[in-house]
Formats: sequence, C-alpha cells, structure tokens
Amino acid sequence: MTATDATQVSLDLRDIVQEYPQRDGTGTVRVIDGISLHLERPGIVMLLGPSGCGKSTLLHMMGGVRPIGTKTPTQGEVLIDGVPCHGAHDDVVMVFQRYANRPDLSVRENVAFPFRLKCWRERVPKAEAEQRVDAMIDAVGLGGHRNHLPSQLSGGQNQRVALARALVLRPRILLMDEPFGALDAQTRAEMQTLLVQLYEQNPCLIVFVTHDVTEALTLGDRVLVMSTAPAKIADDFAILEPRPRSSAWQRSTEAVRLEERILDQLHAKSSRRGSVTVSI
Amino acid sequence: MSDASSTWNPYAPLAASTARALGVGAVLTVLVLWAVLTGFDLVSPNKLPSPWQVAKAFAYLVWDGENQRSLLWNATIWSLGRVFAAGVLVVAIGIPVGVLMGASTRVNAALSPLVDPFRSAPVVALLPIMVMWFGIGEWMKILFLYAGAVVYLIPLVRDAVRAVPQAYWISARDLGATPWECIRLAVLPLAMPRIADAVIVAVSVMWTYITVAEYVNAREGLGQLIQNARRFSAMDQVFAGIIVIIAFALLSYHLMRWIKGRLYPWETRV
Repeated sequence: MTATDATQVSLDLRDIVQEYPQRDGTGTVRVIDGISLHLERPGIVMLLGPSGCGKSTLLHMMGGVRPIGTKTPTQGEVLIDGVPCHGAHDDVVMVFQRYANRPDLSVRENVAFPFRLKCWRERVPKAEAEQRVDAMIDAVGLGGHRNHLPSQLSGGQNQRVALARALVLRPRILLMDEPFGALDAQTRAEMQTLLVQLYEQNPCLIVFVTHDVTEALTLGDRVLVMSTAPAKIADDFAILEPRPRSSAWQRSTEAVRLEERILDQLHAKSSRRGSVTVSI
Repeated sequence: MSDASSTWNPYAPLAASTARALGVGAVLTVLVLWAVLTGFDLVSPNKLPSPWQVAKAFAYLVWDGENQRSLLWNATIWSLGRVFAAGVLVVAIGIPVGVLMGASTRVNAALSPLVDPFRSAPVVALLPIMVMWFGIGEWMKILFLYAGAVVYLIPLVRDAVRAVPQAYWISARDLGATPWECIRLAVLPLAMPRIADAVIVAVSVMWTYITVAEYVNAREGLGQLIQNARRFSAMDQVFAGIIVIIAFALLSYHLMRWIKGRLYPWETRV
C-alpha cells in the first residue's frame, strides 16, 4: 500500500482514554474520556474545542508522533485501514502551527526534505520527487521564492512551505494542528482558500484541529465539537454546503444556527468545568 | 549622542566607527599609562619593562641579526603546529562524543560524570601525570593541549545539540525519518553553528595552555620562549612573547569567526 493509492482510507478510534499523572504526586488526570470515532476519506473533518481540551493530543494519536515518555493512548485503539497504529504512520503527515521549517534550508530544500529520508527515497524515484516538489511549490504560490530562506518569508508563506512539504508526499491522511492559528485574519482566509483548492485537486482525509468557529464552518464537511476536562465528543454534525462557501452562506440562517449550536456547546461545557484544572 | 539613555542601554545601536574609536582609545590609554609608569621610573624595569624595551625585544625575536635567525618564527611554527595537531584531535574526538551525548540522554547520563567534572579540574596539575604517562616528548605536549581543550568542547557540543528545538525532531519523525536520520538530517545541521562556536572556544583554550604545555622539555615554541626569557630575567622578551600569543589567539579567533559566518549564513538571519 503506497501513499499514491487513491482508494478509501479509514481511521477508527475505539474507546480512547488518555490519562496523565498528576503533577503533585500520586493521582492521574483523565484528559480524554472514551472517545470513539469513525472517519473516512475523502473529507475535511474539523475538530473543534476550547484550548487545552485534548484535541491536539487526540490528533497526534491519529498516526502522528506520540508524546515521548507517556503511554498514548492510555486505553483504547487507533486503527488505520483496520490495522492498529502505534505511532507515526507512513500515510499520515502532520502540519504544525509552528511550521517547523528549517532555517538553514531554502524553500525548495524544505519542501524536498522528506525525499532525503530513506523511507521516501525507496518509494518515490528521484525524478518524480523533483517534479512533485516543483509542482507543489508552484501550487502553493511560492514559485518565485524557491531559493529564499524561511527567515525571508512571512508567516503565511512559511505555512505554505509547511503545507507543501506535507502534500508533496500525497498523504492519505493529513493532520493539521491549528495550522493557521498564528496568522492574521486576512492571511488565514487566504490559507483556507488555498487549502480548499489543494484539497479539491487531490482529495484526502484531512483532520483539522481549530478553536476558531468560523474556520470550522468555512472548511468542514464534518464538525466534531469536543468538550473539556475530560474531553468527549459533545457534538458531531455534517455541513453539506459545497466549498468554497460564500460570505452570503456564512451569513445565512443555516450557518448562523450552526455557529450558535457550536458556541452553546462550547460555552455549556466550559462553564461546567468547575474546579478541575488540566495541563498537558 | 552620549546622553545617559544611550550609554546605559544594552540595545542602543553603536556605529562601527564609534566602537572602533572607543576600543583603540582604551588600548592607547593603557599604552600611555604604561609608558608614563616606566618612563618616569615609577616602576622598576625588572618588574615592568617599558614599551620601547618590549618593542626592541620583539624586533630581536623577529630577527636576530647576530646569529642570522628568527627566534619568533621558529617558535611560532612549533607552537602553531602543536595547537593544530591537538586541534585536529579535539575536533575528531570531541565533536562525535559531544554529538552522541547530545543525541541520547542515556549516553549523556553515562558519560557526563566522566567529562563534566574536568571542566573545573586543575588541568595544569595534570601536567606531571601526563609526563609520567606520555614521557617528555612531543606527544605529551599535544595530548596535554588536547585534554585541556576537549573537556570544554564536549559539553559545549552536547549543549549545542540539545539546544535545537524539539519541533524539528518531531517533524522529521513524523515524515518517517529513522532516529538516526532525525539526528543526522534534522538536529545536527541546526546545531552546527553552535558547534562551530564550541570549536572556537576550544582553540582559544589551547592558546592559553600552550605555555604550560611547553613547560617541560620544549626546545622550540612560544611558551618555551617565554619560559626561557623568564629564566634569564628578560622581562621585555616575556612581554613580547605574551603579546605574540595573544595576537595569534585573536587572529585565529577572528579567522574562525569569519569562516563560521561563511559556512552558516542563515544563522544570523534567524
């Protein structure tokens, strides 16, 4: 099975529980409490929740790098295509909020970086890799910046580099951990448009963590709202409106109702948090 | 220009010309003070030779017309050779060990008690031991310089590796890199500028130890030159020798800084 395989991919979480030892000693804090999910490609799934609710922890379990030194998940199972997954998965690539672009490499070298790794050299012939890298740099609109260093680019351009580095591998699952969270509103909107374009060209399963309700409504085929302390899936609904979603739709009764629904859920949960504090 | 707010302000920009003027001014002040102290016989010439005596001694060391030889050239070549040989050893052994320690908390836990205490150990006191172990030949001198510098280099290299943000490691791991690829392709390239800094420190340390290294049975060398001059109470030559060592240390420092800047131009722009 390779990353270019365009068939169905499925991602299952079964009764995921995550606990961390408490800072002051003996007890444990339950951060995630029995989450079960079934996700299928293609589609954009938005994982929405208050900050610190464990949505990022959950995302990392879906084939990303798991935390070092803590058993993740404490209980439960993650299955990709029905096969148990215990760590970084080959068909899964993550885009981080702090884009992790290498300061010592040019834009092109950054995007081509995965092909320097043995596992990708074996899978993708050099000529194809070169061609994919150049095509992807053009696709994210950085054609004129190939030889620039990340320090010469803006935040949005840096996130384009990170996106290109992930998509050049044609992952079947793309995990996005609040990727546009640090960008200004204008740039964020541009990046959302770009992401939708790239997704339409090469659909895959995108799991997108955000705490921005508008972002969830702009991008999502499906929206999962998480509660906090411990995290559960509080709400789960589909948005059928095709993308790109016009600003007229954003103001429509349907969108406004969905927004209220999400905000009610987030508000209800956060006011019920009580005195439990969680730190991850 | 020099109002209080820009004098006591660590972030105030300083024009290169001003910086140079202040630096040259300070050196000249010391020279004038030195000339006054010795010129008016305020200090005995046996304790502090005058600048012109030192200059004369320097000229003699550069070219001894009577014996048709350059003591300084000879001594410099020997000392440079020893520093260079020891430097090759320090880099060839210190960097790999430091990188391994930085790359693995386990390796670090095992090796750190064997390396870290020696940073504050009296390396000079090791000299008799080195003599017993390695004799009084060239190897003893090179190994002494090596031992003195490598205990600085290893911890600095380790810290350079560990200072690389974990995000790069995680990102490479996520892309499917093996643990060794993470170190070699993601962490190490980002640690290189600081590793270069560590090498620069190590070389400076070796220049400070060169006199000690050449204390025992050296026929040539800058350290030996100073030792010899001291034995004959030629304070002017002692001063000239010290100044030459400082000059070489500075020269190699700036040369290495320049090379580092050429090798890692991205570092200053981060």
